[in-house]
Amino acid sequence: MLSIKDLKASIEDGTQILKGINLEVKPGEVHAIMGPNGSGKSTLSKVIAGHPAYKVDGGSVELDGKNLLEMEINERANSGLFISTQYPTEIPGVNNVEFLKMALNSKRAYLGLPEIGEDEFKKLCEEKMQLLEMDERYRERGVNDGMSGGEKKRNEILQMAILDPKVSFLDETDSGLDIDALRIVANGINHIMSPEKAVILVTHYQRLLDYIKPTYVHVLRHGKIILSGGPELALKLEEQGYDWIEE
Amino acid sequence: MDAVTRIQQIGMPRRNNELWTFFPVAKIPAQEYAGTGTATEAAASLPDFEKLIANETDFAALLPLAKNARTMVRTIPEGANEMAMLKCNDDFGHTVLDIGKGAHVSLEILDNKVQHEIVAERFDISVGEDADVEIFFANPASTLPLRFRHFRITQAANSMVRFSNILTDSGIGRISMDCDLNGEGATFDYRSLSILDNTASMHQRLTIRHNAPNTVSTQLARNLLSGSAYASYDGMVIVGEKCTKVNSGQLVNTILLSENASVSVKPVLKIYHDDVECTHGNTVGELDAEQMFYLVSRGIPKETAKKMLMASFAKETFYPLPETPAKKRLLQTLSV
Repeated sequence: MLSIKDLKASIEDGTQILKGINLEVKPGEVHAIMGPNGSGKSTLSKVIAGHPAYKVDGGSVELDGKNLLEMEINERANSGLFISTQYPTEIPGVNNVEFLKMALNSKRAYLGLPEIGEDEFKKLCEEKMQLLEMDERYRERGVNDGMSGGEKKRNEILQMAILDPKVSFLDETDSGLDIDALRIVANGINHIMSPEKAVILVTHYQRLLDYIKPTYVHVLRHGKIILSGGPELALKLEEQGYDWIEE
Repeated sequence: MDAVTRIQQIGMPRRNNELWTFFPVAKIPAQEYAGTGTATEAAASLPDFEKLIANETDFAALLPLAKNARTMVRTIPEGANEMAMLKCNDDFGHTVLDIGKGAHVSLEILDNKVQHEIVAERFDISVGEDADVEIFFANPASTLPLRFRHFRITQAANSMVRFSNILTDSGIGRISMDCDLNGEGATFDYRSLSILDNTASMHQRLTIRHNAPNTVSTQLARNLLSGSAYASYDGMVIVGEKCTKVNSGQLVNTILLSENASVSVKPVLKIYHDDVECTHGNTVGELDAEQMFYLVSRGIPKETAKKMLMASFAKETFYPLPETPAKKRLLQTLSV
């Protein structure tokens, strides 16, 4: 489904952050990526999304056989990729619901589908907002405007729920969430997840993985995946940290 | 003294005159002022009219009077609640508006249909104690080659004036404002949005005089400039000697959407009292790259995302306004 091969990327000053990432994600799988701060986890998500601050030095990223790196940023999203960054950007003045509708209709246009009807969209929004226990005020607010960290993360998952991507890359979605919010967001992700889809979670803590059971856990360090294993690896990392791992 | 004589005294606008620093003065046609400039109707309706003209230094404030503009006088009585529209039907217009104590007024200024070489309007607005007034214009883009609008506003104690406008003309325009906050507790709020393209050139020159304690003024000008458009903002705030607890803020935000678009900003503060709070700020930049990325990363095409961010920047100018006809009209204009 998502195939990352020998992905290398650097920032403007030439410093290479990703030094050859390899990752195969199949439908129905949940991959957790863990690793110390500064290891390249957030960079990986942004490079896949096409953030202009990063230059791809080599490798490939394919989604269902199509090379994402050759696509425009919006085409990557419309092909089924969803990236939630660690610090979602605030866009005051762009209404949340109008933004969601515009994003959904952009995807539908890309897929050759007609625009969603007003009633159908309203129903879809209501259903997903209920799933994430979001109150009506979200409709009136600007995109992430003035939202707490937890509210922003919930808003990201609302977007994911509405856009219904094939592969979601969620960067530290659990940060800034209180215990209840963590449960709600995790339940939301589980609800959206299906055997045809895949999720990549970047996290520092086991607590998110208590709710969303990973198929595989990977350790990213110095721009490379240096260890992969099952869910038990996350428990070991939580207990012992990263120092025991030999690169 | 009449307006023609006064223009002869001060001379035609020049770039070395601080009121016209940024304006393309060469575009003002040198005309024979054939009018009498006596403006008898104006003289009859404005107190100390002679003195007012004799002390006037802004050509744009004198021009309509010099060209024999017909004066429209309107009095809004004490405590009245009115919505009104003003429209000038000639190249040169003069409006005198006397707003009574405690009145609530919503005033929209409409464009006239005149499409001549030069159009100039002058507004003398007196706002009574405790009155609450909104003045706004959001007209469709005009192709007038040269347009002047001059406002002289005097405010009594605890009055509130909210002045908002959207400027989209394709020619050369200038909004000038002399606002005197004469009564304690008076508040003046100015919000302007310029959306300019091609060779449009729009200039704002404001002088706000805090002549009483506890007066408040805010000035926000936002510019979205494409093509070779040029905008300038020249804002002066003067705080008088005994005017304690004055609060004033000037902010200009500009987004340059092309390499040839440009902006000039000049805030001037003259403060003659210590216990005041006056701020000024200016930002110039492009559309926020992270916001663009966020929208596009959700599948929205780049051009659409750009339009969404421009609309967001524009609408934010007026979001802080209360839910009044002005806000509704201004936001509606931006939604089209």
